[in-house]
Amino acid sequence: MQNHIAEFRKKAGLSQQELADAINVSRKTISTVETSRFTPSVTIALKIARQFNTTVELLFTLEEVD
Amino acid sequence: MKQQDIKTEEKLMSQNAWFSVFMGITLLIISGYPIIGNTSAPLLILGSAAFLGSFLMFVIRGGFTWRMKYHLTYKDEYLNTIDTIAYKHVVLALLFSMGTVYLFSEGLTLHISHSMMATFYLAIMCLAYGISIFWQSRD
Repeated sequence: MQNHIAEFRKKAGLSQQELADAINVSRKTISTVETSRFTPSVTIALKIARQFNTTVELLFTLEEVD
Repeated sequence: MKQQDIKTEEKLMSQNAWFSVFMGITLLIISGYPIIGNTSAPLLILGSAAFLGSFLMFVIRGGFTWRMKYHLTYKDEYLNTIDTIAYKHVVLALLFSMGTVYLFSEGLTLHISHSMMATFYLAIMCLAYGISIFWQSRD
């Protein structure tokens, strides 16, 4: 699964820590989600989407192997 | 959950990982030294001192107090996940080390006591937990 969180975050001018603070998760969560090492729960995905005023579908995209 | 709680949890996990690695190395030395030196007394004292020293250092550095509560799980999703995976790594490391000891036990039985083996397994468990947390926490 790919995601575009880093692009949205950079466009919003936020650091990983600032995004983590905004949605009440650890910075490691943001870091590992961005690099696709960790797949977040629906709750976190929705929180990130809400933070960027977008939808989960635009943030995350399924790949052929998923 | 407040952001401060998450930062405390991150700090606590890091301290736990360092502590596990220190304790693992100390226990490994304690369990391994008697094979070489045929006596465990001097290193047992040195190992105990190193263990207590590292423990106190992390208690002080971590700013822990006696009032601090112990939690079995982390509230942050990612920290909780890597903690669970670390325990799985501990079980695998334990099974692997027990299997290795089982295969090569014939030549060791005369020199190694049960307490040394128990200490060795504890060392493996502590090391596996600490290393797993560090490995999973990399950016």
